[in-house]
Amino acid sequence: MTPDTFIKFGIDVLIIVIKIAVVLVIGLLHVAYATYFERKVIGHMQVRLGPMRVGPHGLLQPFADGIKLFFKEDLIPEKADKVVFYLAPVIFMASAMVNLAFIPFSHNFIIADINIGLLFIFAIAGIGVYGIFISGWASNSKYAFIGGLRSSAQVISYEIAMGFSLVGVMIMAGSLNLTEIVRAQENSIFGMYAIPQIVGFVIFVIAAVAETNRTPFDLPEAESELVAGYFVEYTGFRFALFFLGEYIAMFIMASLCTVCFLGGWTLPWYVLKVLPFLQHVPGIVWFLIKVYAFIFFYYWIRATVPRYRYDQLMSIGWKILIPVALANILVTGLVKILL
Amino acid sequence: MTFKKFIKTVTFIEILKGMALTLSRFFSRSVTIQYPDERRPIAPGFRGQHALAKHPQTGEAKCVGCGLCATICPSQCIHVFREKGKVSRYEIEVLRCIYCGFCVEACPYGAVVLTENYEYSDYSKENLYMTKEKLLSNWDKYMPGNKGEEYFKRFWRPMSGDFETPSQQPMFRGKRS
Repeated sequence: MTPDTFIKFGIDVLIIVIKIAVVLVIGLLHVAYATYFERKVIGHMQVRLGPMRVGPHGLLQPFADGIKLFFKEDLIPEKADKVVFYLAPVIFMASAMVNLAFIPFSHNFIIADINIGLLFIFAIAGIGVYGIFISGWASNSKYAFIGGLRSSAQVISYEIAMGFSLVGVMIMAGSLNLTEIVRAQENSIFGMYAIPQIVGFVIFVIAAVAETNRTPFDLPEAESELVAGYFVEYTGFRFALFFLGEYIAMFIMASLCTVCFLGGWTLPWYVLKVLPFLQHVPGIVWFLIKVYAFIFFYYWIRATVPRYRYDQLMSIGWKILIPVALANILVTGLVKILL
Repeated sequence: MTFKKFIKTVTFIEILKGMALTLSRFFSRSVTIQYPDERRPIAPGFRGQHALAKHPQTGEAKCVGCGLCATICPSQCIHVFREKGKVSRYEIEVLRCIYCGFCVEACPYGAVVLTENYEYSDYSKENLYMTKEKLLSNWDKYMPGNKGEEYFKRFWRPMSGDFETPSQQPMFRGKRS
């Protein structure tokens, strides 16, 4: 080993650490302002104003909330399983955060450009369910327990539909590498897979909402029946970890949708042909615009659609989404073979 | 499932309609009034905190201590005490008041009013127990100038006009002079 290789290695590590720091800080800031954005959007959709008092137009509200959560009393139920109780929010948030590493924000900004990025995101997101489930179990509370059970059943069912909906994308792109999926979209006729894969896209959107436990599929935290679901017994910063995890998971789902269906950081070629000056805008801008449009869509659904019944949720997942997704794979595969 | 229903289900028409509605509301003006900064206009004749009317010339309380207000009060929160033919204490327990305005109507002298003040929350019961002095100072504070007299003209009922038979009503109205 020469000193040169050491220096090279050191620089590589440093670059990765800097990238991680940037993504983490942006991720946390994103969560802070995603809550603000959500409250504003839902407020205005309900003809209210949303937060207005802290700072101009309530802009400092997320920090006020954060400080409040930080100084809250940390309660642990007496008969809770302490170790698991401590572990659950950490698992939940860490599994959401890890996924940030595989998202290609731009053509040259991705922390870990691995060949099986798509599969990896699924695997890690699957671990998040353990956080939810063991938090429900360890709380020793019936509401948390029911919430945990519902959540694990729901996430497992919808993960299948979601995976199937992305198989169409995998077939069309011929790769599991997220960067390559985006490049394949850039070179395709429609510029984004949302158009040829419209069935898969719709299934993905529905499954993504269910996967992140958002309305109308927020059965695990159904306020009117389960108080808050699996994290009823969590207070203070532990609660904040669940909150962070949920919003980062939403960000991950939105970015996954952007990368796999909306063309990631690229614009379709026909848009660039009409408006060529858009080429000079950095890719990250398009990526973030698409992601936040999707997140806005999340909030929009939440402000509109009431919660489904649990059996409806299950029958939508198993009897409609999965068969349709399978049919979509079949058709996509046939088209791929024939063309 | 009919074809029409199938199309409806597949295209999510109903959910999209709902979402169009929420989106249209998103761009509409919100109805929130940010209270300490903005206030609702107070309706004329608003029934807020009490005040004891002062005579415009002498500046003394109009109240003679007849006790009609205390008698009519449904929540019995008015206490009138007389000593040597004068009103020695006139006290209202604001926390029990239901702001029906019967005291204003019952008073034959127009001595008690309900002002437009509604912001008088406090931490102690003592501060919310209105004595005669506080009630008289409320008159100066919230019914300055002609406002008090106007209030009686517009909102003190029944006035003698209220007992007249409507002119359209055919009836014997005495000998015409």
